[in-house]
Order: sequence, then structure tokens, then C-alpha cells
Amino acid sequence: MDDAGIERAVVCPMKPRRYELGPANQHVSNEVRAHADRLVGFGRVDPNLGGDAVREAERVLDVLGLGGLFLHPWEETFRINAPFVDAVVEVARERAAPVIVAAGYPWLSEGLQIGDLARRFPEVRFVATNGGQINISGLGQTDVELAVDANPNLVLQTAGVYREDFLENVVGRFGADRLLFSSGFPYFDPRLEIRRAQWFHVSDEAKAAVLGGNAAALLGLGG
Amino acid sequence: MIIDAHMHVDDIPALGWKMGADLVVERLDEAGIDRGVVMTIVDAPEVNPNALELVAEALAAYPDRLDAFARIHPWYGDEAVALLERAFELGFKGLKLHPVSSIAHPAGEDTLRLIRIAAAHTAPTLFHCGDEPMTTPLAVAPAAEAVPEATIILGHMGGYFHVDEAIEVAERVPNLVLETSAMPYPQKIAEAVERLGAERVIYASDGPVCSPRIEVEKVRVAGLDAEAERLVLGENAQRILEAVT
Repeated sequence: MDDAGIERAVVCPMKPRRYELGPANQHVSNEVRAHADRLVGFGRVDPNLGGDAVREAERVLDVLGLGGLFLHPWEETFRINAPFVDAVVEVARERAAPVIVAAGYPWLSEGLQIGDLARRFPEVRFVATNGGQINISGLGQTDVELAVDANPNLVLQTAGVYREDFLENVVGRFGADRLLFSSGFPYFDPRLEIRRAQWFHVSDEAKAAVLGGNAAALLGLGG
Repeated sequence: MIIDAHMHVDDIPALGWKMGADLVVERLDEAGIDRGVVMTIVDAPEVNPNALELVAEALAAYPDRLDAFARIHPWYGDEAVALLERAFELGFKGLKLHPVSSIAHPAGEDTLRLIRIAAAHTAPTLFHCGDEPMTTPLAVAPAAEAVPEATIILGHMGGYFHVDEAIEVAERVPNLVLETSAMPYPQKIAEAVERLGAERVIYASDGPVCSPRIEVEKVRVAGLDAEAERLVLGENAQRILEAVT
């Protein structure tokens, strides 16, 4: 963060080696409390676990004091719009907490699949990583734009996104409030990723929103 | 000398994409890049029978800033061959293939025929090399092995999930060159240089719609030594382009 001039960040657990998300969420909570001026934590749950996942989501938001839920359909292997995912999203809905989705993974978290979940929960704010799609031909971009257009509660992150003009089009078509800067660290390099939001061809006002204003509003950080 | 080895000019109303030569040069200037290699998004003769002319107009407008590769659809047999030969007469410097959009496998005989013609001109063939079927490093490698005299460039060096595979394949297939455009991991550039040698890695952006400025920054963030950075950012591409007959 310091190398890239980033003031605050949302942190989520990596995939734990022993696949136990509870201790990983506890670790994030501890780290966030130790660096409260710089970090906001999100808790990771695996909807495959049914009632256990619901209880962990409740613990994440009610006990650990984390700011939202993080779902990784690729690493936990579930389809983001599968019906059994609803139970954990409902926990977020009841508490007005945002949900970050590791997005763009084929068959499991494609743009329209995330859009389908967002349609079922219009009160929940969903954040799709990787611009909602991971494809170096841009083949998923139209589907993502359809999902963003149809679901005002869906915003995209910038990390690793193929094509600067995709990000510019999101701002131009849907508004700067639909895009959040993210570094995707440690998969991506924050020193490079921040340039996507600093150097793309939009107004200074839009850049300020993407770089921090939107995230501050989403997380209730007060600007 | 910085050369951007993979850029586009095209006009595709169906997608709302208009990438003119003026925008290409504007982005080159923004990034401090000397020259760019432009090509269309779609192939000749289909879906654009005038694709070569479109690129030739860009070359004529900016002869000091632009070079060109020809996108030719391998399905079109003798017509494709004639188009590629015509491209070299027009001063094009290489062949570009995008197997997932053309549905023409890199190791298919129609494709190999075009690669051999390019190689006869000492010209490279640039493949889109990402995560889609028919474009992965293991899909392209047999083409490089079938035409060992050809220089085969893996554009995007494997995309998002096939970058390690691209480096591994290039270690055993010596006529493969890795091209950095849009691949999002700076440290993989450093790793490729370490494992393959700086002579086999070339900078490109896939601009103007991918940002050349950001793509150059990616190479800088990779932290190469000065000689390797010079080779990657321009001298390798210059050597490849100047060899074309």
C-alpha cells in the first residue's frame, strides 16, 4: 500500500491451506483491529457448508466486526447464482452488508451469473472483482455490461481488467459510482494496478470517485 | 527506442469499436513510444475484405510511426495466400492470427501454410495466446515446432491463467517469443527474461484500447536490468521487423 500510495484497503482471507475459513476470518479480524486506520476486513464463507456457512457469516458480521462478506466461487467451487448461496447472502441483506464476489471465473462467477444473484437481492450491494470478467479477448465484457445495466446494486472493481476502454465505458454508460479501484494484491501488483484508475481517460472527478470516494461510501468511511 | 509490437486499427460498427490511426499515435505519444505495429481486429478476406487497405492507409498516414501485421483468415486457401503475399508487397512486416475468433487451429494445415509464407519473408507470426481453446501455449506450440524456421510470437504470453505454461513451453520450443500485452503480472515478465533470456520477450500493449502507458509501466515495474529493459521495450522488436524481406 505504501509503495503505491494507497491509504486504506479492504482485506479478505486467502484460501486457507486447511480449508478452515473460521480461523482465517479470525486472523483477518485481528489484523484489522491492529491496523484500524488502514484496513477494513471482509469475512470469507463457503456456501457449500449450508447452516455452518450461515453461522460463520453471522459470526463474521456480528462478532468479528468485519465489514462484509467475500465469496470465491472458483476456489470454493460453487456457482454464484446457485439457490443454496441465497442463505449466506440473506445474512448480508439483513445487516445491510456488502458482498464481494471473486468474479469472471468460467462457469461459476460469470457476469450474467453474478447479475442473476444481484437481481434476487436488490437491496444487497454486490462488488464483482476483475471487472466482472477475466478474458484477454474481452469476450465476457458485453455480458458484464448487461448485468451492470440491469442491476443498480452491482459495481465492478478494476484489478487486472483487460482494456482500458472497458473501464472508461463503465464510467461513461453507467456512472463513475459503478467502479471501484482495487489492486487484487497479491495476485496483481498495486504499483501497476493503481495506474488503471489514475491514468484512464475520464474526468478528475470520476477518477477521485473510483480511487476512493465510492469505496468510502460503500464501507461507510465518511469520505 | 520503444516499439509497441501489437496494436490495432479498425472500424467495427457492430461492436461500436473505432480505432483510428490518429488515436494510435496519440496513445504512442502519451506513453513516449517511438513506433507501433498495427493490425486489424478482424481478418481479410472475411469479415472485412478491405482489411489490408484499412491498415495500409494508416501506414501511409504515419510512415515514421507505424508498421503493420496482416490478419488473414486461414480458411480461405489460395485467396488467403494471395492476400498475405500482397500484404508483404504493401510493406507489412508479419502475420497475425486469432484462432478463437477464426476457429482455425494453430497447427492446422491451412494455418501452417500461411506461417510458412511469412517465414519465407523472414517475417514473424503473432498469435493471440490466451486462455481460450485453440489459443493456449500448448495449442500454438505445435505450429512453432512444425515450422521451426518461423518466429512465432505468443501475444499476451498466455493471458491470465496460462502464463506459467507459456514460459514452460517456450523453454522447450526455441522459436517462440513471448509478448507482454495485457498480461497483468509484471513479475512474470521478469521471470520470462530470467528463464528464456531477454532476447525472447517483447513489449506490446494491444492498444490503443489497452493503455500503452500502463503497459510500458508494467515492464518498468518488472524491474529488469537496463540492457534487458532496452531489449524488451524495443530492440528485440526492431531486430525482428528489420529482418523482414
